[in-house]
Amino acid sequence: MTETIAAGTPFAVSVRDVNMVFDGVHAVRDATFDLERGRFLTILGPSGSGKTTLLRMIAGFGKPTSGEVFINGLAVGSVPPHRRSIGMVFQKLALFPHMTAAENVAFPLRMRRFDARTIPDRVQRYLDLVKLGRLGDRRIHELSGGQQQRVAIARALVFEPDLLLLDEPLAALDRKLREEMQLEFRRIQRELDVTTINVTHDQREALVVSDEIIVMDHGRIQQKARPEATYRQPNNAFVANFIGVTNFIEGTVASVDGERIAFERAGFAGRTGNGFRPTAGASARGALRAEQIRIAGGREALGDVDTVVDGTVTDAIFEGERVVYEVAVADLGEATLRVFDHDPVAHSQHDVGSAVALGWNVKDVLVFGD
Amino acid sequence: MDALEAIAAAVWPRSFSAAVPWLMLLPAVVLVGLLVLGLWDMADGSFRTLDTATFLPSDDYSLANYHRAFTERLFFTVASRSLIGSLIVTAITLFLAFPYSYVMVRTRSAALRKFLLIALFLPFFIGQVVRAYGWLIILGSQGMVNEALGLVGVSPIRLLYNYPAVLFGLVQYMLPFAVLMLAPALTAIPEEMESAAGSLGANWVRTFLHVVLPLAKPGFIGAGLVVLTLSLTDFAIPAILGGGSQDFIANAIYDQFFRTSDQGMGATLALLLVAVGSMMVGVVFALFGAGTLAMGRSK
Ligand SMILES: Nc1ncnc2c1ncn2[C@@H]1O[C@H](COP(=O)(O)OP(=O)(O)OP(=O)(O)O)[C@@H](O)[C@H]1O
Ligand SMILES: [Mg+2]
Repeated sequence: MTETIAAGTPFAVSVRDVNMVFDGVHAVRDATFDLERGRFLTILGPSGSGKTTLLRMIAGFGKPTSGEVFINGLAVGSVPPHRRSIGMVFQKLALFPHMTAAENVAFPLRMRRFDARTIPDRVQRYLDLVKLGRLGDRRIHELSGGQQQRVAIARALVFEPDLLLLDEPLAALDRKLREEMQLEFRRIQRELDVTTINVTHDQREALVVSDEIIVMDHGRIQQKARPEATYRQPNNAFVANFIGVTNFIEGTVASVDGERIAFERAGFAGRTGNGFRPTAGASARGALRAEQIRIAGGREALGDVDTVVDGTVTDAIFEGERVVYEVAVADLGEATLRVFDHDPVAHSQHDVGSAVALGWNVKDVLVFGD
Repeated sequence: MDALEAIAAAVWPRSFSAAVPWLMLLPAVVLVGLLVLGLWDMADGSFRTLDTATFLPSDDYSLANYHRAFTERLFFTVASRSLIGSLIVTAITLFLAFPYSYVMVRTRSAALRKFLLIALFLPFFIGQVVRAYGWLIILGSQGMVNEALGLVGVSPIRLLYNYPAVLFGLVQYMLPFAVLMLAPALTAIPEEMESAAGSLGANWVRTFLHVVLPLAKPGFIGAGLVVLTLSLTDFAIPAILGGGSQDFIANAIYDQFFRTSDQGMGATLALLLVAVGSMMVGVVFALFGAGTLAMGRSK
């Protein structure tokens, strides 16, 4: 096995063909990726997809069954966690309850034998960074959930690690606080320019905070891309389904014309996703985002769109800034499509049971194999 | 159901419900009350000396028994032997119980956990006297150990009826108690806590010293108190493995009550034992606070 990737590599982390098998459970399969220094990567995936396992292997808890992890180009297979320069914020924070906030932040400095005289100043600086300047003397249980998050971040960063790992530390917070902390993470990460890997199953969080997103499912990396690309050019049906609200329309391919794939269903077509090139007669599915479907009381009100179908509203859910309609479409084999209506004037315009017309453009339908 | 409730309401009106918690305390209060009565009786007896002519306790009160207890060499030897012994036993037991409980709590192997649990409970089913007798069979001058030594040409060694034998027996007896008290305390420490210490730069020694030990303190204190008081007051193991030469306080008390029939002296020693035991518990609480037993309302 190679001991180094390259001297002066720009990659803070490189993962090569990493597998992890727990008696029978193949938790991570053939994971390979590089992460450049100073970037914010989010690993996104459903519960049990192997996110924590992958993160723990990078941190050094749990040796890969096969494959190798490189940090700054050096293989770290035999380096224990306490010799790696990694700050980690855990799913349940793991703050030490028998210490004050400041003592928690000082802990890594004491363990890593920083000059004792510089410790108080440094602790104060990082408490200030996370806006906890005055609360250093509080015990952990005397702090609110959001304040505890901040202590955990300060503790993970205070020794200036090469790498910051976050294992869903925000999952337990209510939505408002979570969104505030996401931006906080982003601010601190930019301020310190520390390479960060964040794990979450919150797609919004992934899109908001990351430079890059890795989507995982069943232990396998499905896609690694920038947030826009993850959203607009999903690699496969799983990614398309996991991020955003996506309708899938199944069918048989009638003809393929360059990028354009026509289905046997009347007038339904899309463009190839992920370079998928089926032959006529193959089965395929088109993925169409809820916000890319227009909805109106009649066909003429839809404006200029490639595809138009008629449907019946089966449900209308008011979500504040938008209305989510569920519309049954007979022409698409009684498929139920979810449609977002962001037009405040049109709100609650369509009652359950009313007939509506739906329209969209062919370029917005991404066609994948099964 | 309604009828039942109506009857219940008639027998026990709602307004009485405030009394329910007190009622539930009643059995414990009765038990403690009996204990206090017994102690009172003992206290009375401890001030009466034995009349060697009639073999009856004297009618008049004096401090003679206490004077004897504090001045006679025999009692001093027994007391210091038990005190020092129980401290040594506590230290060794906690030292051995920690890794045992730690492995039992943290192992990923369900089979190993089960094995450790069974091995822990087995001695409870056997009982103290039988177990001590088992040690006689193993360690006696014709016991298994000496036979094995004989095979390699070593002449029999006296393994029994000395202080180390008693301490050894006590440690073996106390280990399960200590493990049972430590295990819940360790279970309560999230594994993430140790991983966190690791990622923050602590090796396992420092993780143990700075994280596990402080967080397991209530368990250590609880286990320590149980082991200390149980071994300080133990009777069977010093009697059997000490063979009369290694008496602890309980053995001395037994002798006073049932051999010399000096009820007064026995009561004096028993009360002093209660006092010393309570003082040690008191010192531990004063040093570490009763809150360390994780009692009282948590914030
Ligand atoms: N120590 C372990 N022993 C056995 N199986 C494990 C162990 N850790 C994880 N697994 C299994 O590996 C798979 C991936 O688990 P992992 O914790 O990495 O998922 P995750 O993506 O972090 O999920 P979540 O979002 O719920 O935290 C799961 O099927 C899990 O049951
Ligand atoms: Mg996880």
